Amino acid sequence: MSARYTAVILRQFRTLLIAALLSVGLGLPALALEAPALKGRVNDYGGMLSPEAARTLEKQLAAFEQETTTQVVLLTVPSLEGDVIESFAIRVADAWKIGQKDKGNGVMLILAKKERKIRIEVGTGLQGVLPDITAGQIIRNVMAPSLKAGDNDRGIAAGLSAIMDATKGEFKATPADKKTAKKKKNSPYTLFIVLLVVGVVIVAVVGSSSRTAGTLAGGVALPLAAGVGLGAALWKLGLLAVLGAVAGFLISLLMRLFNASGGGGGSGWGGGPTIFYGGGGGGSSSSDDSFSGGGGDFDGGGASDDY
Amino acid sequence: MKRILFAVAATLLLGLLSGCGYNTMQANEEAVIAAWGNVESAYQRRNDLIPNLVEVVKGYAKHEADTFKAVTEARARVGSMQLSKEAINDPAALSKFQQNQGELSSALSRLMVVAERYPDLKANQNFLDLQKQLEGTENRINVARERYNATVQVFNTSIRTFPNSLTNSLLLHLKRKEPFKAEEGAKVAPKVKF
Repeated sequence: MSARYTAVILRQFRTLLIAALLSVGLGLPALALEAPALKGRVNDYGGMLSPEAARTLEKQLAAFEQETTTQVVLLTVPSLEGDVIESFAIRVADAWKIGQKDKGNGVMLILAKKERKIRIEVGTGLQGVLPDITAGQIIRNVMAPSLKAGDNDRGIAAGLSAIMDATKGEFKATPADKKTAKKKKNSPYTLFIVLLVVGVVIVAVVGSSSRTAGTLAGGVALPLAAGVGLGAALWKLGLLAVLGAVAGFLISLLMRLFNASGGGGGSGWGGGPTIFYGGGGGGSSSSDDSFSGGGGDFDGGGASDDY
Repeated sequence: MKRILFAVAATLLLGLLSGCGYNTMQANEEAVIAAWGNVESAYQRRNDLIPNLVEVVKGYAKHEADTFKAVTEARARVGSMQLSKEAINDPAALSKFQQNQGELSSALSRLMVVAERYPDLKANQNFLDLQKQLEGTENRINVARERYNATVQVFNTSIRTFPNSLTNSLLLHLKRKEPFKAEEGAKVAPKVKF
């Protein structure tokens, strides 16, 4: 009993301290719990979902964005650590910028596990179809019953699909949106071309000093560029090695002629190979399934409730 | 020789013009005005919501005439003060605005405390919806105020630091803007408690 009282007194004291700080500062958010990193559409920091449910939801939300350009993300945190869910939510919204720029079509569903609080933060472009009332009803009538019963998977999934149902009609992905999405996926192709150009330059540098080295460099560079850039199959890589070697030999020959006629400056490219490998490695790992907010706007609209 | 001197002087002048912060300060002031617009519309949104809310509560709590009167009067006071964009340059007008809105806030929270005493009302779907709307609006007000304060801070810093301060005193004569002060007994939570 006394322990609880101390806790209460401590909490009171903390609130007082915050109030004092607030009146000194410009109304800065108190006990600012930092916005966690955006991992994907499902950010289950609170560990509230089963792995299967998380995977299914991630897929559903990705498909929904493909279809509508509307971004819906989930964030669960273990605890708010004394912060208020509304101010935490707007801070995350400002950091993540969910939704497309100029459309403001982002929605964040935020759950705090310890405090048993839910907030739906609605982007400025969706407050017509998902007004505070609807957001409140989704929390109260759709999510809370399952969550109260301890079925987090079902409650969260139902909440997200209610959000998607409400916002479905507002935005449609235009062919242009789909094209840019596809282009993003085809980026390895451009990577291949870049690698090829860099490869030719390296072969030219190496080849200008020795024909064998040039041939060898060509034989390595072409399959490497294809392998990293396009993900070509192994047997094709062998064929490309031969092709690359021939090309390397020819380039070396050309460079020799060029050098003999008095053109210099090849030695300045000595740093090439490191750039080549560094660039290739970085490009292939980051071009995969990454997700980020599109620059959407939030003004604090939405609803929050306990469950 | 003269030509060289002229060239040097021209370059210096050009550098000064782009480096004097003339454009930056203008842009910062525009940002403050835009943020102020959001503050006003958030408060307006709350004002528009109140009649419905009072109506619903009245249906269940007929005998709370004083509370209704307080809310209606506070709302009328807020509605009667027409703030132009000039208000952001006038600390007195801003503090009056803040005081009136603060009175409306406390009248509203008294109304919500009253509502707490009527279980039938608390179960009314319409009331629950309005309550959510009010909470959302209060949160928008909070966000708009915080953002306004942030733009004010940027603006005030930009007119006070060198060389902008010089440009401002010579050309622009922009005045320092007043940020919102934390409410009396600063509450951390923006929401109405029930």
